[in-house]
This record gives sequence, C-alpha cells and structure tokens, in this order.
Amino acid sequence: MTEPIISVTDAGISFSTGRRQRSARDLLIRGSRGRRDIDTFWALRDVSFDVAPGETIGLVGANGQGKSTLLKLIAGVLLPDAGRVQVRGGVAPLIEITGGFVGDLSVRENIRLAAGLHGMDKATIDASFDEIVDFAEISEFVHTPYKHLSSGMKVRVAFAVVSRLDEPILLVDEVLAVGDAAFRKKCYGRIEEMLARGTTLFVVSHNEADLRRFCDRGLYLSKGELLLDGPMRDVLDRYRADSGITA
Amino acid sequence: MAATAVLAPVRARVTGLWQARSVFRLLVVRDLRVRYAGSALGWFWSVLDPLLMAAVYWFVFTTIFTRSVGEEPYIVFLIAGLLPWMWFNGAVTDTARALRVDEKLVRSTNVRREVWVLRLVASKGIEFLLSLPVLAVFALIYGTSLHWQVLLMPLAVALQALLLAGLGLLLAPMVVLVRDLERVMRIVLRLWFYVTPVIYGAVDIPDQYAGVFALNPLVGIFSLYRGAFFPGQVEWGYVLSSAVAAVLLLVVGWTVFARLERTVLKEI
Repeated sequence: MTEPIISVTDAGISFSTGRRQRSARDLLIRGSRGRRDIDTFWALRDVSFDVAPGETIGLVGANGQGKSTLLKLIAGVLLPDAGRVQVRGGVAPLIEITGGFVGDLSVRENIRLAAGLHGMDKATIDASFDEIVDFAEISEFVHTPYKHLSSGMKVRVAFAVVSRLDEPILLVDEVLAVGDAAFRKKCYGRIEEMLARGTTLFVVSHNEADLRRFCDRGLYLSKGELLLDGPMRDVLDRYRADSGITA
Repeated sequence: MAATAVLAPVRARVTGLWQARSVFRLLVVRDLRVRYAGSALGWFWSVLDPLLMAAVYWFVFTTIFTRSVGEEPYIVFLIAGLLPWMWFNGAVTDTARALRVDEKLVRSTNVRREVWVLRLVASKGIEFLLSLPVLAVFALIYGTSLHWQVLLMPLAVALQALLLAGLGLLLAPMVVLVRDLERVMRIVLRLWFYVTPVIYGAVDIPDQYAGVFALNPLVGIFSLYRGAFFPGQVEWGYVLSSAVAAVLLLVVGWTVFARLERTVLKEI
C-alpha cells in the first residue's frame, strides 16, 4: 500500500466552555493556575484513520459533532491537544473561505493576497489571475473593495481562488450550499476536474446527493468520536438509522 | 535523547519559517503599500510624528530648561534617538496585536503563525530605514560630520530587530488570551521611553543606576545609533547586555509563542 497522505492518530482537541478570555485582573487575583481543564469538553477524541492519495471522503454527523473541527485540524488552522495529525502534501481549504479576504482591499488585491497566503507563487498568480476572475464572473468589479460585493459574489471569488490552488488535498466544508444553481454547477465541474487529476477530497455536507456523488468512503462522527469508517453508502445508512430518518 | 527532543521541534519551526518566506515578503509588501499608499505624502506622515516630537523636546530642552545632557547639535542628537524609538514603539504596539488584528486571516490560512508577528518587525524596520534620510538632512544642515562608527548601525538594527522579534512573539499570543494586556502595554511603553536614552545619552546615566539601566536592552542599542555622529556615545558594556537580553528574549518569546499557539488558535 502506498504511504497515506493523511494520518490521524488518536487525535483529540478540547475547547473550554467557560469564559473566552481572561483579563489581566483575573490573572493577578485568581492566578493563572487552577482554571484549566475545569470547563473543557472534547470536540474530538481518539480519532484515528489513514487516507491514501486520491481517496474521496465524506464526513457525516449532526451539527456540533466535530466535523468542521476535524477539517480544520487537517487544514492546519487548529492544532490537536492529543495525538497527531500528519498531512503529507499541500491543502486547498474551502472552509470559512471568505475569512481570508480583507474588506478594504479591492477584489484584485484580495485575489493576489489570498492566493499568495495559500502558497501560490507570484508567477502562477499572474498566470491564473484572469482565469480566476472569469470563473468568479467578477470582471466588472475587479477594482471594487471586497466589502461592497454581495455575499454570493464573495463566495464566488473565494471559491475561484482556493479551487485554483494546485494542491493534492481539497477540503470542502458546506460551501457547495451557497451560490446560485448555475454557479454551483460550475463548482461541481471544478471539483470533478480536480478529482480526475487524483486529488484527495474531504467533504463536510448535509446533502446526501453531494456525498454520494463525490465520496467513496464515509466517516461518521458523533460526540467527537469516530463511530464508523466505511463505504459512503453504509455510513449514510447508519447515520440515517441513528437520526431516525426513514428514506 | 533529551537534546534531540528539544532540538527537533526547534529545527522544524526554523525550517517552516524559512519555507514561509514568500508569504512573509507578500505581507511586508502589503504593509508598506498600505502605509505609503503609493504617494509621497504617505512617507511624509511616517516621519512627521518623530519630527514633531523632536521639535517639542528641542524647544523644551534648549529654550526652557538648561540642559546638561546630550550633545550639540541637540536636534540631531534627538532625531538619532527618536527615529529608532518610533520603530520600537510602533513595532511593539503592532506586533502585540498582530494575531488579533488579522484573526480572520490567521484562522483561515495555514501560514506559519510566527509570520504574522515577524513580518511587522520587518515592515516597521523598513519604515525606519526609509526615515533615515531625515537624520541625514538635519546632520547636513547643522554640519555634523559622520564618524566611522556609522558602520555600527547595521549591528544596532540587527539587535533591535532581534529584540522586537522576541518581544512580539512573547506578547502577540498573550494579548489574544489576556484582554487588557494591550492597555497595560501602552502605559509600559510610555514609561519605557523615559528610561531609554532618547532625550539624553547612555553616557549621561549616573553610575549608581547603571545596573538598573543595563536591564533595558534599548540602552546599548541606542548608544550604537548615536555613535554615527557622536563618537563618545557608544557604551560597549550596555551593548553587551543588550545583545544578551535580545537573544534571551527571542528564546523566551518563541517558547511562549509555541506553547500558547494551540490555545490562541481556538480563541481567535
């Protein structure tokens, strides 16, 4: 078997449920000791799986069961508190995609900045700039500040940039739900192109049709634990049975 | 065994940072572009602040008080201290809130987190270098001649950059976790100004306080800057303590940063 492109080993991450931030006064009065581990819950715990290059994986589970957290661990924007998450290859993350864009900068500057932050070099950015603008259908608004775009346009620009990254791993978190039907069709086309090139895919979605269409393998998360790892069809059946949906 | 356990993550961080250099450059260019907005006026604004402060101190200490410290021409002496102070002040303020200001970008891109902090040390440093012609102009006007010790300036710049990197890495994650630290920092910086040889020189520090001032790493660094025009100002004892403090702070700062990184990512 080839070396896995993603190895997740006993990974866990905990969040505190108490107050988000401490003030210097709190630190001085109560001391920094003793407040840790009091109000924490494990968003993911003891999750282990390997992914071979080219696999397509769908994450299934109700809201708040750790699906997006798992994607963020793989994207490297969160770090595990326990276990390891090893990713051998670049990641194109379609998660919170509009987050990487700055409202005050123009669409043009944003495209360059976001592509650069995701690791695209200058020559590639120059070469693919027009294509990104075309794909997002945004050519009249290239000099408009990003904040003045409609929310649909924002997602289009973001999707166009991230999906243009030539990375071996693609993470998709619910972004397929936004945008109008025509654009969604284009997105599907783009994802299929990438799959044809052998891209490893991770999808979080509540849309069964999407999951069946793109994913061979399913991971079922519940309360931060990996309940089932198997063929997509079996995982969806189990999920539906558990949540009491009869199809 | 123990040595490799400590060194492996350090090496991983250093190589990771090196691999992020193109992103680093991208962000520095963005910072400078925002700062100068493609106009000469942008540059003017960045030197206006130190010039106004220089004018005020110059008036106060040449006209109102009789001054026993510093050197002549006092305005050149002041500007040689105020320009690096502006770099220090601006970089500490900005790096401290680096992770918070750019939280959306930090949260959504897998860029080495150190880059968000360190790139501000660089962009503020470039602003400082671009403001140096102002010092040259005043030196020309007042006919102050350049001493060979101007060659020490790169050493001063390097030490200050090292010091700022350490301080920034130390403060940035703490500001995310402790809300009012930013306000505390503002007060500390204002006090720090007066215990730093800006309106006076390192040589003017009374001997009985030398031990206390040696704790301030800026004393030695600022004495190096001054040496370019005022040869008697360089105090090698302070320079040595500055260098030790800068290296120490970088180690402490980076350790704290690495420790707090995962918590910070959850909080932003």
